[in-house]
Amino acid sequence: MRPEKTDKLATMLILLLAGITGLAVLAFLAYLLVTGLPHVSWHFLLSPAKAFQSGGGIRDQLFNSLYLVVLTMLVSVPLALCAAIYLSEYAVQNRLTAAIRLAVEVLGSLPSVVIGLFGYLVFVLQFGLDFSLLAGALVLTILNLPILTRSFEDALQQVPTLQRQAGLGLGMSKWRVTTKIVLPGALPGIITGMILSAGRVFGEAAALIYTAGQSTPAVDYGNWNPFSPTSFLNPLRPAETLAVHIWKVNSEGLVPDARAVSNGAAAVLIITILLFNLLARLIGYLVKRRFAK
Amino acid sequence: MDELNQSFKPKPTVAFRRKKTTDRLLAPSVETRQEWGGKLVSCLAILLIGGLVVTLFAFLINKGLALFTTDKFSLGAFLTSTDWRPSHHHYGALPMIATSFAVTVLAGVLALPLALVSAIAITELLPNWVYRVLQPVIELLVGIPSVVYGYVGLTVIVPQLGRMFGGTGFGILAATCVLFLMILPTMTSMTIDNLRQVPQQYRLASAGLGATRWQTISRVVVPSAKSGILTAMVFGMARAFGEALAVQMVIGNAAIMPTCLLSSSATLTSVLTTGIGNTVMGTASNNALWSLALLLLLMSLAFNLLLRVISRKGVR
Amino acid sequence: MEKTALEVKNLAVAYGTKKVVEQVSLKFPAHQITALIGASGSGKSTVLRSLNRMNDDLATVTGEINFHGIDINQPKANVYRVRQQIGMVFQQPTPFPLSIYENVIYGLRLAGEKDRQVLDARVEESLRQAALWNEVKDQLNSSALALSGGQQQRLCIARTLAVRPEIILMDEPTSALDPVSTSQIEDTLVQLKEQLTIIMVTHNMQQASRSADWTAFMHQGHLVEFNKTAEIFMNPQEQQTADYLSGKFG
Repeated sequence: MRPEKTDKLATMLILLLAGITGLAVLAFLAYLLVTGLPHVSWHFLLSPAKAFQSGGGIRDQLFNSLYLVVLTMLVSVPLALCAAIYLSEYAVQNRLTAAIRLAVEVLGSLPSVVIGLFGYLVFVLQFGLDFSLLAGALVLTILNLPILTRSFEDALQQVPTLQRQAGLGLGMSKWRVTTKIVLPGALPGIITGMILSAGRVFGEAAALIYTAGQSTPAVDYGNWNPFSPTSFLNPLRPAETLAVHIWKVNSEGLVPDARAVSNGAAAVLIITILLFNLLARLIGYLVKRRFAK
Repeated sequence: MDELNQSFKPKPTVAFRRKKTTDRLLAPSVETRQEWGGKLVSCLAILLIGGLVVTLFAFLINKGLALFTTDKFSLGAFLTSTDWRPSHHHYGALPMIATSFAVTVLAGVLALPLALVSAIAITELLPNWVYRVLQPVIELLVGIPSVVYGYVGLTVIVPQLGRMFGGTGFGILAATCVLFLMILPTMTSMTIDNLRQVPQQYRLASAGLGATRWQTISRVVVPSAKSGILTAMVFGMARAFGEALAVQMVIGNAAIMPTCLLSSSATLTSVLTTGIGNTVMGTASNNALWSLALLLLLMSLAFNLLLRVISRKGVR
Repeated sequence: MEKTALEVKNLAVAYGTKKVVEQVSLKFPAHQITALIGASGSGKSTVLRSLNRMNDDLATVTGEINFHGIDINQPKANVYRVRQQIGMVFQQPTPFPLSIYENVIYGLRLAGEKDRQVLDARVEESLRQAALWNEVKDQLNSSALALSGGQQQRLCIARTLAVRPEIILMDEPTSALDPVSTSQIEDTLVQLKEQLTIIMVTHNMQQASRSADWTAFMHQGHLVEFNKTAEIFMNPQEQQTADYLSGKFG
């Protein structure tokens, strides 16, 4: 066959296959939104779930997911930031550093179910936290640390070396250079990394079913004392998240309207992730514009 | 230039400054303390992460070996027997191992060509605005929680397979479809990144020699991104191997040796998710589950090693 | 011979096992401009960066660097104070993404100075010394990034001056700038030497001959010749120097 003919044929074949793939994936996305969005209403978002009847909402699950993201971020961001600062600013090239990098990478590649089981073993049983938000947050922290550390390190590396040198040349300590010059410069990257990893934490389920648990006790949204057992802020209560809820209503099949609830919940999950992604993009865009000025 | 002379008064005498300087040059200062503090804090953080990894491995290895040390079950039987009946003290993990590999390999093999053609179409054939429009969509798909993929598998793919081939629809094929859908966006976006990294000069040089676009793609662009494309595939497969809930929802969860793509089976992860809550800590049947977890851990290490080998080859 | 600001004895620098500078000994005269010249890779920048310990993380520096009779190359030396006394200006302008005012007082702020009057006075003094005051006095609160390249470089000089160092090291300070900005900076340097000592690396022969009082020629990690600039240019003692100056290599 002549090369020109092969070229035309190959191009058409590639576009055809890619088109089919793209359509399939878009159909998947459209299906989720079309079947899910009609179920999403203020009532659905704000009323509690029901165990055996239809008409339940996802208030508690939604709150638990968001609260868990906040708790996880509170623990993992400072830790990952310090670790990233070490790797980016202080680490010298030697075996120890290589071993630490390897450890972080391996941790990041572990299946979330394995990390969930480790959390069950250590936080839930060993530390006696039982199924609780705290145990869930700690497990999500382990899951999140490698991703955050890597994205923070990338963000720090984006800051030009010259800026660091200028600071050092003024007689500033390296730590000061890092906190006063490098961190502000890396902030957009750091925020983007945080938001994207928050999206992942928000949708995680496998690591949570044996750590944060699969049920939510009745909580009082007016009780702001985090140490009170009935408070919605109490980190020691079990908490079922949105993603776990989808899994649970489908595998137990006790709720008559499991389809409706899961369709709605899936749509809420996706829209939240979409919002996280858009927010990350928006920040990137705003920062780019600021630098362009 | 006389602005200098009007405004600038001479500094304190050199002798005065010198004495002060001499003492100060050797003594520690605020900056010294800052530096120590900063180093300490960041070092502690990284050591904590390192310690965490070590602890994680120690715990899982310890628990995972209990079946063989405490309960005296033979490692050979665990890896080669097809009989998994914890109630009868039969802990043959081969059905799960085989199923896990089957779904992973099938999903990977299915996803690789489609991810590759999609990436080629987006980077090489279609105008740039398509990429700009699709990139956020792909990012969204990458970020969709696996439970959602599993849920769609359960409500759409499983019934559809049941209608098409008869039976329940649960099984390896359903799990493959779900995992394929789940890893496709990740693999496509990684492949796109790799193709875009191929220098534009290569394409120009090849075109300059009279090559057609397809010749350029198949002989220059794809070969020079080969290791990256392979990395994307292994990365996707590693994710598929470790996926728990999405698979558990569609595979049927029968811990028997898979005989066909449409019969109920169980993977390492699905047995773990269903089993851990239903067994008592410390019993042999519970320990057997931890052995499966250890197996999962070792496999993800193996995938990690494979990725390293591929990327190192790519550098050369 | 004039007073010595900084004395280097047997300086050697190695990156890992690769020696890039060996046996460099010289005395930098106070209140003078000394130029380090040489082909790229001759080690001139490495020497310069070693003088205020900027090479600490990158290379092994051995030998003595005496400043006020103290060897500042010893481990015990407080590098931060060394760098406050021996400031550095880089090849590229390195303004921080802050206002002009904040840039100038950056070092002072971190040293804990809060008195607005002191800060204001220091900003004006430093900007005047760097011959930038007249150009920016009405826009002190606007972003430093909006300045031209030459202005940014003078701002960086002002920022270094605001810490009141005794010596300023300059690493090809004008190589990224246009000829007009270059000559403005050269004028500034000549005025500055009344207050401090300047040591600069340059690959620009005219710049060395125009503004430097002393010139050191380096070749392949060794100091070949060090003398008054006029002597070096008119009457080089070494063949290598003569070859380099006549453009036979470099």
